[in-house]
Amino acid sequence: MKRVLVVDDSLSVARQLEKIINESGEFVSVGHAKNGAEAIKMNHSENPDIICMDMNMPGMDGLTALRSLVVLDKEVKVVMVTSLGGVGDKFTEALKLGAKNVISKPFEAENVLQILREL
Amino acid sequence: MAVKFFGQFLVEKGAVSREALLQAIELQEQKNLKMGEMALEMGYVTQADIERAHRAQLTKDLKLGDILVEMGILTLNQLNEVITRQKNTHLYIGEALVLINAFSKEQLQQHLDDFKADQAQYVSDRIELPAGVANSATWEMTADLTYKMITRVLDLQFRPGKCQQVTTLSSNFMMAAMDFSGDVEARYLVSVSAGLQKTIAKAILSEENVDTEPVEVLEDTVMEFVNVVCGNVAAKASQMGMIMNINPPVTIHPPQAGIPVPEGYIGLCFPIHVGDEEKMELILLIKG
Repeated sequence: MKRVLVVDDSLSVARQLEKIINESGEFVSVGHAKNGAEAIKMNHSENPDIICMDMNMPGMDGLTALRSLVVLDKEVKVVMVTSLGGVGDKFTEALKLGAKNVISKPFEAENVLQILREL
Repeated sequence: MAVKFFGQFLVEKGAVSREALLQAIELQEQKNLKMGEMALEMGYVTQADIERAHRAQLTKDLKLGDILVEMGILTLNQLNEVITRQKNTHLYIGEALVLINAFSKEQLQQHLDDFKADQAQYVSDRIELPAGVANSATWEMTADLTYKMITRVLDLQFRPGKCQQVTTLSSNFMMAAMDFSGDVEARYLVSVSAGLQKTIAKAILSEENVDTEPVEVLEDTVMEFVNVVCGNVAAKASQMGMIMNINPPVTIHPPQAGIPVPEGYIGLCFPIHVGDEEKMELILLIKG
């Protein structure tokens, strides 16, 4: 099973995502980081295959963390999860920085799993 | 299930790859001239004029075209000609994808039809604001999108009340707030009673019972609802040509006497009727 790290300052979004991931039978959550800096640390300690990361977080935001993650770890696949996915330049910026896809909020379980399967 | 731009819609449904989209965006960036570049190409300005105008922009909050007119470098007619040519020659993302052979012209039309159908649920219904509110179309869209997300995300039956200008925000169990910056400055707030907070938590967490959830989780679900609405408002605003940035949401516990609208702001209250026992309001504090 592919290992997924969830990065979001919102407890409720992390709960939603971890539930979808753990109930899928295809993926397993390896934990929850609350900001970009924690994501970088947990990527090192947990070595996930996939990171689902919010864009808009206090402290180190998602795009800043993405810049570091793609340099530090060439293997990990990062998907941004954001309510700002519909803002064209935010979506484009995320892809240009190395995100594999963007999941827009509100999301549905099947949509999240479909994107994770295609990575 | 969210406000999207066309390229994102295509990648999400697997119609094009991320790599093809990036290639098409690169082509757009090469072909679509910025205002200054187009004015330069049309021979109306020199590179030195543009640099002078850029320097002036450091102290004036005006678009480049407006600055060039204000400085007497461009006439208003010339500015309009430049903007018209920019629009007429603009390469749209769908066209760029056809040019790089990501799909055919016929497939583009089918994708555009599918996109229109997907986004139809976010086309605004008319909402009336009090007279004299600046950027009224943006705030009408904000209220309208809030109502649509109450239905889609919270699955809640409600009746929107008439928008009123207020000088004090009335008290309630809690509020979640998010600040907009960019082309407009405003604070977006959703005020909810205790029962509604639980209703929102059940919907966001997909749980039937949230009685044992910690307070911070219950409050977080209301903040997350506000985050989802505001992100989609920013997306819709970008389609309308406006920049709206958002900051992480916060919670507020209003005192019994309510919260006065700060000086220099207009307070708009949109009551959301959900039953006699519960109280919900959308509030917008708009600067200027």
